[in-house]
Amino acid sequence: MSAPRIESVLLVKSLPVTGPILEGRFRKVRINMASVTFDPTYAPHSGKHRRQSVISRPGTAPRPVVADVAMVLAGLGFGACIALAVTAETWKQLAARGGVAMFLGNLTGLSGTYLALIMVLLVSRIPVVERVLGQDKLLAAHRRLAPWPISLIVAHAVLLTFAYAEAAQTGVWGQVGAFISSYPDMLTATIALVVMVAIAVTSVYSIRRRLRRETWWAVHLFMYLALALAFAHEIALGPSFVGHPLTRFVWSVLWASSAGLVLVYRFGLPLFRTLRHRLEVVEVHPEGPGTVSVVCRGRHLDRLAVAGGQFFEWRFLTKGMWWQAHPFSLSARPRPPFLRLTVKGIGDYSSAVARLRPGTRVAIEGPYGAFTTHARRRSRVALIAGGIGVTAIRSLLEDLPRDCDPVVILRASSAEELALASEIAELVRHRKGRVHELVGSRSEVRIDRLSELVPDLQNRDVYVSGPEGFVNRVVATVLRLGVPKDSVHFEVYSL
Amino acid sequence: MRRAPAVVIAGAAGFAGIVAMHAGSAPSFLSGTGPPAPVSSSPTTTGPSTTPAVPPTGAARTALGTSEQYGYGVLAVKVTVRGSRITDVSVARLQTAEQYSQRLAQQVIPVLRNEVLSAQSTHINGISGATYTSEAYAYSVQSALDLLGVK
Repeated sequence: MSAPRIESVLLVKSLPVTGPILEGRFRKVRINMASVTFDPTYAPHSGKHRRQSVISRPGTAPRPVVADVAMVLAGLGFGACIALAVTAETWKQLAARGGVAMFLGNLTGLSGTYLALIMVLLVSRIPVVERVLGQDKLLAAHRRLAPWPISLIVAHAVLLTFAYAEAAQTGVWGQVGAFISSYPDMLTATIALVVMVAIAVTSVYSIRRRLRRETWWAVHLFMYLALALAFAHEIALGPSFVGHPLTRFVWSVLWASSAGLVLVYRFGLPLFRTLRHRLEVVEVHPEGPGTVSVVCRGRHLDRLAVAGGQFFEWRFLTKGMWWQAHPFSLSARPRPPFLRLTVKGIGDYSSAVARLRPGTRVAIEGPYGAFTTHARRRSRVALIAGGIGVTAIRSLLEDLPRDCDPVVILRASSAEELALASEIAELVRHRKGRVHELVGSRSEVRIDRLSELVPDLQNRDVYVSGPEGFVNRVVATVLRLGVPKDSVHFEVYSL
Repeated sequence: MRRAPAVVIAGAAGFAGIVAMHAGSAPSFLSGTGPPAPVSSSPTTTGPSTTPAVPPTGAARTALGTSEQYGYGVLAVKVTVRGSRITDVSVARLQTAEQYSQRLAQQVIPVLRNEVLSAQSTHINGISGATYTSEAYAYSVQSALDLLGVK
């Protein structure tokens, strides 16, 4: 736990007390930003200062109905795809040589490609959807859905090869050659299939484990290319599309819109925010063994709408780190022009974060996450943090109103590992709540003690944050203790 | 998943919607037509019999016949009629499994076109050595004629 310490006289832009701005021109002044800038007792509107200082914008409230509408539309589209395949068939075609395989090939092609569209939309980071469901849940859905489109598309290729070979009475390999040479857009479609299969193979867990995250990621990005390459043959050859201009039009609009959404929200908006805010590292200081806080400064941070508990994908533009983006929560509400993230040192990357030099530029994607006070159903909350999960809890606390009586449970293996504990204690005191620090090894501390520590748990919204195993155990316990599912919110820290 | 019932119902609705939009156009499973009649060298019509009113002569109308998959490829024609007279038949889609079928089709289709135009129906003579191509051509023309409400 770090105690506040002031090592030099400091004049900070966001404090209205006195003047000069902290610029790079100050020569080698060592500063401890945390105590001054992110001090929880610092109240911008307390009226003690003559000028109001800049505060950051609260996050936009999510609208749950958006997620409901999106899912219903997805279901509607899927049913329509099946119907398109079925209505394009006739008895005559089914009875012909290879007819059944051709029908199944068309059905799997349509449904598989539609599901691929859904996969793209799941990771397009559309803000209205992401705010409700959260990037972690969207990614989980993306991973869970993945086997279906790839299996259907592979089945589509195999089935149609057999069907055409059967109809033309040629060998299968001859048919493959015929496809590529004499049918329009089949060469690109075949390339697309090969790329998709390669991506699927690298994503199989046992293989993905052996790859570096950046390698896997680079391969995965080629999926956009594969989908683009495959598009032409769908329109040119699919029986539901040939001679059906309206179907062609709708399909084209769907894919064009998805491409647009990806360009805008997955690539455009993060780039815009990075360029607009121009974050750079100002200070890196330790919070405890293996844990460091990184303070960044940026422009127009008063315009960045962030809710407590949200995270960004951080890309530190320095040698050895620029090609990786990692998710870290903000560990305090932004105090324009500063913001702070706190990172636990597991692995090479986190250790590299500890060695970041001031002046390093930062590219951001975000803010993401539905782990915010907007998700609350009740007025009282219980916040449970394990290890590095304390960062999201720390920033979430700032969004809670005064006197709301929060109960905070901090779980760590040893006392020094309770990072940010003093700040949390201060914030909780302000809100007339209580903090329980559960320190010790897993055998010493049993999480079932929850019901003793928080007797009215069933009447509170529960927020759980930390590593995957911890979150799973706590959420299971909390649900067992009778907290309704809609009142349990969790965020898992995994890379 | 809480929203699962809504998603399933939406799927059924999407399915039903497309089926409803499709009904009343080209024959498919769902309109209840049975398997096709056995193949002979002078094909007879097997499409559904529709008898909408025939508009007065002078207005040229076209229709796209169904894509007939005939074992060596796929063939679809576009038929133009004036009143109840077939004035033109052109190929809208031709994809064959290999070169031989492609050349054969290209040779045979002009002959078939003349046959249809002179017979003013699909009761034409097939061309030996191109039986499947002839049948597919005739079926496709017939489906277009059905759409146009001619014979």
